[in-house]
Amino acid sequence: MAAQMAATKVPEVRDITRIERIGAHSHIRGLGLDDALEPRQVSQGMVGQLASRRAAGLILEMIKDGHIAGRAVLIAGQPGTGKTAIAMGIAQSLGTDTPFTALAGSEIFSLEMSKTEALSQAFRKAIGVRIKEETEIIEGEVVEIQIDRPATGTGAKVGKLTLKTTEMETIYDLGSKMIESLSKERVQAGDVITIDKATGKITKLGRSFTRARDYDAMGAQTQFVQCPEGELQKRKEVVHTVSLHEIDVINSRTQGFLALFSGDTGEIKSEVREQINAKVSEWREEGKAEIIPGVLFIDEVHMLDMECFSFLNRALESDLSPVLIMATNRGITRIRGTNYQSPHGIPIDMLDRLLIIATSPYTEKETRQILKIRCEEEDVELSEEAHTVLTRIGLETSLRYAIQLISTAGLVCRKRRGTEVQVEDIKRVYSLFLDESRSSQYMKEYQDSFLFNETQGAQMDTSQ
Amino acid sequence: MAAQSWVDLLKSSRKTVLVHDGKRKVHYLFSDGKEMAEEYDMKTDELAVRKWRTKSKLGAQGPWEMEVGESFLSTEAVLEHQLIKENCSNPVFMRKDTKTCFQWRVRNLPYPKEVYSLSVDPEERSCIIRTTNKKYYKKFGIPDLDRCQLPLESSALTFTHANNTLIISYKKPKEILTLEEDLLKNLKKMKSVNDGDADCKTQ
Repeated sequence: MAAQMAATKVPEVRDITRIERIGAHSHIRGLGLDDALEPRQVSQGMVGQLASRRAAGLILEMIKDGHIAGRAVLIAGQPGTGKTAIAMGIAQSLGTDTPFTALAGSEIFSLEMSKTEALSQAFRKAIGVRIKEETEIIEGEVVEIQIDRPATGTGAKVGKLTLKTTEMETIYDLGSKMIESLSKERVQAGDVITIDKATGKITKLGRSFTRARDYDAMGAQTQFVQCPEGELQKRKEVVHTVSLHEIDVINSRTQGFLALFSGDTGEIKSEVREQINAKVSEWREEGKAEIIPGVLFIDEVHMLDMECFSFLNRALESDLSPVLIMATNRGITRIRGTNYQSPHGIPIDMLDRLLIIATSPYTEKETRQILKIRCEEEDVELSEEAHTVLTRIGLETSLRYAIQLISTAGLVCRKRRGTEVQVEDIKRVYSLFLDESRSSQYMKEYQDSFLFNETQGAQMDTSQ
Repeated sequence: MAAQSWVDLLKSSRKTVLVHDGKRKVHYLFSDGKEMAEEYDMKTDELAVRKWRTKSKLGAQGPWEMEVGESFLSTEAVLEHQLIKENCSNPVFMRKDTKTCFQWRVRNLPYPKEVYSLSVDPEERSCIIRTTNKKYYKKFGIPDLDRCQLPLESSALTFTHANNTLIISYKKPKEILTLEEDLLKNLKKMKSVNDGDADCKTQ
């Protein structure tokens, strides 16, 4: 009987927009500093690294000020000491209006584009321009919203939206993207909304007064507004932020605007860039536009080669350059593209321009704290002993490996129908998955039985 | 005089004339980057189309905006990148002039004639269509009069309703009539690019 009930149960419809995936740094919400820029021991997902966080806080203030162009910062430290976390923390505390572009050092090596072009594009993506533009918007009260799924189950959804003002009423056909964003915003009959016609951005203004008598349960923040007057379509001036790169693309060819969506921008001529720079500074002098210098973050910066560094040297001297943050986990190593050794794999003349922030390995207490935060983030309950064991693992192997064990141990625990991860669960996954040092140990022991072992052995013979 | 400045602007623009399909097509490129295109019927000399295109502040090419005539774009093609579009059952507003009147047609308006009322708002320089059943409302200006800075007269405005269509007429003032006559004479004198494939040099 019960089985039958379960079989007839309608499968739960999952809303795609509500699933949030957990990334390696999704627990970071800021730098965790107080107003005086003093770091708190544990705050906003950040633990320890007090000196580096304070330094990053000062850099953040400099970025927010926006007066200083072309400063470069290097975050250097061993693997797993929170370099990327600090960069993410800066990104999070900057807010949505300041451009933050992140890329890995290996991303600029492409066959379609020269290295310097890729770097220039990244630089210009990190500079925002706030400008007023006139756009067409539709503003009205939702009378009816109707979305039809095709009968076959596949194909595009079709939808209709009826909007009204005090004077008129219009029915709109909806594209599939618009249907998606309408259901994401949970727009329903009685809401007063505006739709930006060009970008399709929907803003809920509130609920119409005419619906105020409905005895619906409503949140405290629900606002009641008047039904708009006059025509549904209006022209309005809106302020928005575009990056210099976007302006470049729009102007680089006649249908350049479409290239923004397809992503096929190709190389942009330097004349176009110069023209745009002149235009932007003209706007700035006339007070029409405001420049927002953002942040360009290059992770794994030792992957860049000599030419890139010399390009960076020059690019940082321009007054239209963002604050550059780089991160590396290398010590003294070869500069890519040369035979010279240099600290962090960065030439000395470049290093001379950098403010260097060092991160240090975490202590036992800090490791414990980070593991606790990650457990909360991944929704896994850990018993006190298991937590201690995991901390030991984190200290003896690596923090990353210990973090990997959290969700796997959580799964083992759930399979045996436990509510809290015990030491046995940790032991189980520890034996199932090798960490880096145990794996190397294993390799050394069983090297002979792996494939292509003979040829390698022969090579080693000749070299001696 | 104000009308004169508009004429000067037209004269200073770069014009390309093309005769094609029984229509005289004229393209104007103004010094500020704005473009205007007109189409005249060869037999009746009536203005069939006048449309404008401007560059946005950031330098992107905008779409053609119709001042006179109808735009022919299929619904699906527009929906692809417009995200939202008016349903085809909605009233369609377009302008189609005659020799003596500016004339607007609003199709798909099935309500009886008593529902509509027309008024002129001299301060905002626009005419307003209202409906008593609150189904349709439209505010529109007459760019021709704005360009010559002539006043709007409510007495010149009349409307009729037939076959689900509301037709609004505004009698052209004398100044406009003489201006249009002169312009047309000039255009007729201009040599047309004969082969239809010639590129319209805009940049």
